[in-house]
Amino acid sequence: MKIKKRAAAEKSIFRGLALFCFFTRIGCFTFGGGWSILAQMEQEFVDRKKILTKEELLDMVAVGRSLPGIMITNISMLFGYRYGGWFGGICAVFGITFPAVVILSVITMFYAALKDNPWMHAALHGIRAAVVPIIGSAALSLGKEIFKTRKGCVICAAAFLVCQFTDIGNIAMVAAGILLALVWRRVKNIW
Amino acid sequence: MVMVQLFLSFVKIGFTSFGGMSMVPLILEEMEKHRWMTAEDLSNLIAIAEMTPGPLGINCATFAGLQTAGTIGALAAVSGVLTPAFTLTLAAAVCFNRFHQNPVLTDILSVIKPICIALILGVVISLSMENYFPEGTPDAAALLIGGAMLYLIEVRKWKVPQVIGISALLGIVLYGLS
Repeated sequence: MKIKKRAAAEKSIFRGLALFCFFTRIGCFTFGGGWSILAQMEQEFVDRKKILTKEELLDMVAVGRSLPGIMITNISMLFGYRYGGWFGGICAVFGITFPAVVILSVITMFYAALKDNPWMHAALHGIRAAVVPIIGSAALSLGKEIFKTRKGCVICAAAFLVCQFTDIGNIAMVAAGILLALVWRRVKNIW
Repeated sequence: MVMVQLFLSFVKIGFTSFGGMSMVPLILEEMEKHRWMTAEDLSNLIAIAEMTPGPLGINCATFAGLQTAGTIGALAAVSGVLTPAFTLTLAAAVCFNRFHQNPVLTDILSVIKPICIALILGVVISLSMENYFPEGTPDAAALLIGGAMLYLIEVRKWKVPQVIGISALLGIVLYGLS
């Protein structure tokens, strides 16, 4: 019994480490949002190791996207848990986070110096002018499906007016939205 | 004290954001409230986050934490933004089958998503004022770059890292040489 338990513990530590290494590796290459990590997970776990079907991966993505927080870390947690229990999930999340923290730490250390360099200053000035179209087009592609329904348009317009003309904060708005959705569900069910 | 504030701020940001750019309005609000970052810093950071690997939320948390309270600050902020993954998502993983296509979640998302888009549009307006009309006067070079990049992204379907590279070059030419 004891030996069995120890073997199980060793196996879970081994799986956790493997998950950490894999997610660190793909964490180094997640440019441009979360979608490239999915392609890598598909190659590794669906095509090569065959421990996951494509449908299962898509289910994880659907759940990961609909939970609050960062989509990539949510999907890492869901997959890590499936493969290595709660320890595996935590290892996967730390793995995907690790490269980003290291890279940003290095950049932050040089940020003040870079910002004051006149050439870098000019380049950043130009880049800032591009940030608005980048965010704007992300909002548009997110909104494509939502603007097709009348409910989506009304909620979006109302939320826009509230955030432009009142002092209500963004976090309060999202919290109010969650509450509204729950109340709406109740009302719908009673009728 | 600052550690606790950083942690709590990023817990709030984590629990009220639903993926990608929907984090930007929430981060901007918290950063300006505590004076940890200016709108200019956040614009730079979004560009940096788009050029380096890793999710925007993690990049912002690392940057804000390091700037305000060093390494421990960064750890506090990153643990804050990871809290939803370690609580809600872990719970969802345990009872995965019940969470999968859960009608409550679908209903919540159908309300949250339009709100997130409205908030992002709000950020687009305030960043536009900041970046294209600094101190109330129009910045011709910035407007030119912004218009050109909008064309490249929407019509020519350019990828974000390429757009950032070109706008950096244009910035050096238009601002650095004059």
